[in-house]
Amino acid sequence: MAHVAFVRSIVAHARITGIDTTEAEALPGVRRVFTADSPALMGLGLRAKSALPRYVETEQPALARGVVRFVGEAVAAVVADDRYLAEDGAELVVVDDEPLGVSIRAWDPPAAPLHHQAPDNVLVHRVFERGDPETILSQAHTVVRRSLITNRHAGNPLECRATVALWDDHDHLTLWSGTQIPHLVRNILAELLGVSESNVRVIAPDVGGGFGVKAVLYPEDLAICAMARTMVGTPLKWVEDRVEHLHAATHARDHRYDVTAGFAEDGELVALDVDAWCNVGAYSVSPWTAGIEPLMAGGLFTGPYRLDHYRCEVRGVATNTSPSGPYRGVARPATVFAMEAILDSGARALGMSGAEIRRRNLIRPTDIPYRMPTGLVDDSGHYLECLEQALDIIGYDALVAEQARRRAANDKPLGIGFAVYNELTGLGRAASAGPRMPFRTGHEACTVRVNPDGKLVVLSGVTSQGQGLETTLAQVVADAVGVGYDHVEVRYGDTNESLWGFGAFSSRQAVIAGGAASTAAVAVRDQILELAADLYEANRDDLRLSDGRIMVVGSPQPIGSLADLARVAYLESNRLPKGHSPGLEATRFYDPVLGAFAGGAQVAAVEVDTATGELTVLDWVCVEDSGRVINAQIVEGQVMGSLAQGLGGALYEHLVYDRDGNLVTGTLLDYLMPSGAETPEFRLGHLEHPADNPLGVRGVGEGGTLGPAAVLAGAVADAIGLEIDRLPITPSRLWVLLHEGNR
Amino acid sequence: MKPAPFRYERPTTLEEAVSLLAGDEEAKLIAGGQSLLPLLSLRLARPSVLVDLDGIDELTAINLDPAGSVVRFGAMVRHHISASQTHHPLVADAAGWIGHTAIRSRGTIGGSLAHADPAAELPAVALALDATMHVLGPRGARSVPASNFFVGTFQTALAADELLVDVDFPIPRRWGFAEVARKHGDFALVLVVAAELQDGWRLVAGGLGGTPIRLTAAEAALDAGVDPAEAGAAAQSAVDPVAHLHASSAYLAAMAGTLVTKALANVSVDTRNRDR
Ligand SMILES: Cc1cc2nc3c(=O)[nH]c(=O)nc-3n(C[C@H](O)[C@H](O)[C@H](O)COP(=O)(O)OP(=O)(O)OC[C@H]3O[C@@H](n4cnc5c(N)ncnc54)[C@H](O)[C@@H]3O)c2cc1C
Repeated sequence: MAHVAFVRSIVAHARITGIDTTEAEALPGVRRVFTADSPALMGLGLRAKSALPRYVETEQPALARGVVRFVGEAVAAVVADDRYLAEDGAELVVVDDEPLGVSIRAWDPPAAPLHHQAPDNVLVHRVFERGDPETILSQAHTVVRRSLITNRHAGNPLECRATVALWDDHDHLTLWSGTQIPHLVRNILAELLGVSESNVRVIAPDVGGGFGVKAVLYPEDLAICAMARTMVGTPLKWVEDRVEHLHAATHARDHRYDVTAGFAEDGELVALDVDAWCNVGAYSVSPWTAGIEPLMAGGLFTGPYRLDHYRCEVRGVATNTSPSGPYRGVARPATVFAMEAILDSGARALGMSGAEIRRRNLIRPTDIPYRMPTGLVDDSGHYLECLEQALDIIGYDALVAEQARRRAANDKPLGIGFAVYNELTGLGRAASAGPRMPFRTGHEACTVRVNPDGKLVVLSGVTSQGQGLETTLAQVVADAVGVGYDHVEVRYGDTNESLWGFGAFSSRQAVIAGGAASTAAVAVRDQILELAADLYEANRDDLRLSDGRIMVVGSPQPIGSLADLARVAYLESNRLPKGHSPGLEATRFYDPVLGAFAGGAQVAAVEVDTATGELTVLDWVCVEDSGRVINAQIVEGQVMGSLAQGLGGALYEHLVYDRDGNLVTGTLLDYLMPSGAETPEFRLGHLEHPADNPLGVRGVGEGGTLGPAAVLAGAVADAIGLEIDRLPITPSRLWVLLHEGNR
Repeated sequence: MKPAPFRYERPTTLEEAVSLLAGDEEAKLIAGGQSLLPLLSLRLARPSVLVDLDGIDELTAINLDPAGSVVRFGAMVRHHISASQTHHPLVADAAGWIGHTAIRSRGTIGGSLAHADPAAELPAVALALDATMHVLGPRGARSVPASNFFVGTFQTALAADELLVDVDFPIPRRWGFAEVARKHGDFALVLVVAAELQDGWRLVAGGLGGTPIRLTAAEAALDAGVDPAEAGAAAQSAVDPVAHLHASSAYLAAMAGTLVTKALANVSVDTRNRDR
C-alpha cells in the first residue's frame, strides 16, 4: 500500500506558471509525484454533461491544469510510504502562479472568467414560466418583496471521503470508495480510463455518512485511479482529512432569491416572480452538473402551494469556491426558507396569521394530481393535514395566547414559525429527466436469491450510509416472500455483486430500491410456490409461504419448507417436477416513472433573548407524510437527523470565504456543527397516505432538512417583528438587528 | 493533517524537563495536547522535539495554603480535576466551562495559561484573582503576576525555555462567572469573571481582544456602590472589542455588559471560609 497526499492550492484563482516537484521527489519515502502534466494524468478530467439549451459544459481536470480555480483545489499529488511522508513531500512541492481576479459571490459582477466557455461565469441558466405573472402582479391587491440570502454548507459526515485504488494489471481496476453511487462511478471511470466496464469493480463498504457529498465523482478519485495505474499491484490510499473536506468536498446552498409575490385580499397567492442566483463553485460537479441546485430551486420553488402565475429565473454561476453539489435536501431548504418568508410577509401585510395564509394556499387532496407551475405532478396533497396535525400537537391556540401574554407583560418574546413543504422523492425516469443528463436515474435493480439452505440473499444496487437500509430491505423481502426477517441477508455496495443501481440520493432508496426488492421478492415467492405446488401436488392458489413453511390455506400443518424446496432446486434436480429449471432467484428492475411526493409541516415556538440574541426552542413539531412506514424507528431516525441537520444550517453552519477566496472557516473551530446540546427535542407526527408504488412508500431521508431555516426565521420575525433575510441566524446578527434595525 | 516529524522526550523531573527545553531552541512542551496537537497536525507548529510533562508527578498537586486563602495548582492539574476540586470554587466553576468531557480529561491548567487563548476561561480567572505564576528556566525560578503574564494573543511572559510549574490562585470572598458561547463547549464569545478581593471588586472579561482585560471603569463603579446593571453599562461603554467571524464589535461590547450584570447577579459566597 502507498499513501497519497494532495498539494492543494492556497490561492483562489491563478494561472499556474510552474510546479517544481524535484525536492519532493528527492525526499526519502516519497515514491512518485504527479501533476496534470504527468503522462498518467495528461488530458484527464471530468465533464458533467447536460443537454439543457443554456448549459455550458466545462471540464474539471483530475489535477489543476494550467489554472487553479479555488483554494483547496488539488494541484499535485505525492505518493509515499505513509501519509506522514506524503504530507512531508507535499510541503516541498513549489507552485508558481500569476494571480487572476477572484469572484466569490454568484450575484456580484464576475472578476474574471473561470472557464473560457463561459465569459460571464454563468454555467447554467433557465427560466421557468407559467401564466402571466407580470400582469397579475401589477393588478394584485398586495405585493410583497424579499431579497433572501442563504448560507453555504458542507456535508460534513463524521467519516470523510476515502479511496483505495488497485490495478491487478493495466486493465483491471478495483476501487474501494466511500461513494454513494458505485455503479455510476464504475461507468464513468471505465469510460474516462478507457477500460471495459466489466474490468472495473467498485466496492463501497460501510462508508459512513454521506448526505450527498459522497454522491459525487471527485477529481481526486479520478487522479488516484490514474496514478495507481502506473503502479500496478500497489494499492493507493487516500483518506480525506477534515480540512480537505471543508475546502474541497462539495458545498451547497449559497443562494440569493429576489422574490416578488402578489396576494389577493383573502390571502390567495396569485403570482410569484423569482430571480435566483446559485453559487455553483469553480466546477460543474460530476455527474450532476452545475444545474443540480439551480434547477431544483426553480423547479420546486412553489412547493406545496397552488399557483398559476409563476416566473423563476435561475442562474448557476461559477465562482472561485469549492464546487457545489448534492447535499441533503438539494436547494429545497433554501427555497422553502424563501417561499415561507414571502408567505409570512404576505400574511403580515394582510393582517393574517401564519397558519391562515398557509391554509388558504396549500394544494388539497381534491387538487390531486396537481400540475405544479413547472409541470411537475404532485401526487400527494396531504399538506394541510400535516399542518393541522402539527398545530394540534404543538397546541397552537395556547401558544398564540402565551405570545400575547408575554407581549402584554413585556416578557421574553416568543415567536411561532412554520414550514410546509413537499419533496419529490424516488424520482423515476420522467421526474429525473429535468437536468437532461446523459442518464436517467429512475430505476434500480435488485436480485433476490434463495440459497440452497433456504436462506435468502438480497443484492441491491443502492448503498447505505447509515439509513438502516439493510433492515428495511430485509423486512420488505421477508414480508414479500414469507420468511423470517433473520433469514434474509442484504448486501449492497459492490458492483460485482449487484446488477445495477444508481445509489443513494434524492430520498430514493425506499421507493426505488424498495420497489425493486419487493418486485424481485414477489417473483421469487411465485417461483417457490409454483415449485411447491408441483412437487407436493397441491393447488398453487391454495399455497402460502409463511415463516419459511409451505402452508395450505385452512390447514395448520405445513406441507413442506422453503429449505426442502431450495435443496430440490439446487441439489436434487432428479426431484424437480417437469417444467421447472434449477435455482430460485429473480432479478427485477423497478422504475416508478414519476416519483412520490412526500410532504411535511413543521411548527415551532422559539424564545428570543433580546439581551444576547440567543434563541431557545421551546417546542418543535414535525409531521411528515412518509407514505407507508416500513420501519417506524428508522423513519423517525431519518426525520430527527434531518431536522438536526437543517437546524445546523439555519443557526450554525456557514462556510465563509474572504474577498481573496480564502476559506476562513477551514476547521471545525470556526465551521460550527450542531451537537446534541444544540438539538432540541423534536416531537414527531406521522401520516401514512400510501403512494402509488409497490410498497406505498414516500422518501423520508431529506424532508426534515427542508423546514428549520424557514421555521426559525419565521419564528424570530414573529417574535420581534423584524424580518430575517440572511442565514445563518446568529446571536450577533440577531442582536444587531434588534438594536440597530434592518440595515 | 499529519504533524511534521518531531522527536519525543518524556522526562520525570523538572530539572530534566528544563534542560531538555534549554537544549534545543525548537523544543516545545506538551501538556494535555488539546491545543498543541491541532497546531501540530495543521503544521502551524513544527517543534523539533516535544517534551512531555506527563511524567513529572509533582506537577499534578493541588495545595491549600495553611492560612486557607490561596490554592496552589500544579501545571499538570487536568481541567476535570480543577472542575471537581473543592478548594477553589471559582476555578472549579470556570474549569467546568472548558470544552467537553474529553477535552477536560486531557487539558491542563498550565497548558491553558501558557497557551493564553484570548477567550479561555482560566487566564481570565487568573487575571481577576491576581494569580501568581511560578516559572522555572535555565536561569532559575521566578514568579510572574497574572497582570504581567498575558501579553498578547497566544503570548505570555514565558520565555521559550521556561516552564510554568505552578500557579497560586487567591480565594475571593465572593465571585461570579458568566459566559456566552456559540455552542455548548465552544470557546467563549465573551466571558466575565467577577471576584471580590481584599481590596475590592475585580471584573475581568475574556474574548474582547488579545488578552483577558480588566474592566476598570466597571470595577470603580462597583466599588462606589452601583448596582449590577449599572456596572454592566459601565463595562459596555468602556470596551472596544475586536470583531471576528462570529461577532461584531458592538455585540461583544454589549455581551461584556450583559455578562458583568449576570455574573454580579449570581455572585456566590465561599461559605466554607466565612470567618476569614
Ligand atoms: C474542542 C476543544 C474545545 C476547547 N474548548 C475550550 C474552552 O472552552 N475553553 C478553554 O479555555 N480551552 C478550551 N480548549 C483548549 C483546552 O482547554 C486546552 O487544554 C488548553 O488550552 C491547553 O492545555 P493543554 O494541557 O492541552 O496544553 P497543550 O495543548 O499540551 O499545550 C498548549 C501550549 O502550552 C504550552 N505549555 C503547556 N504546558 C506548559 C507548561 N507547564 N509550561 C509552559 N508551557 C506549557 C505548550 O508548549 C503549548 O504551546 C478546547 C480544546 C478543544 C480541542
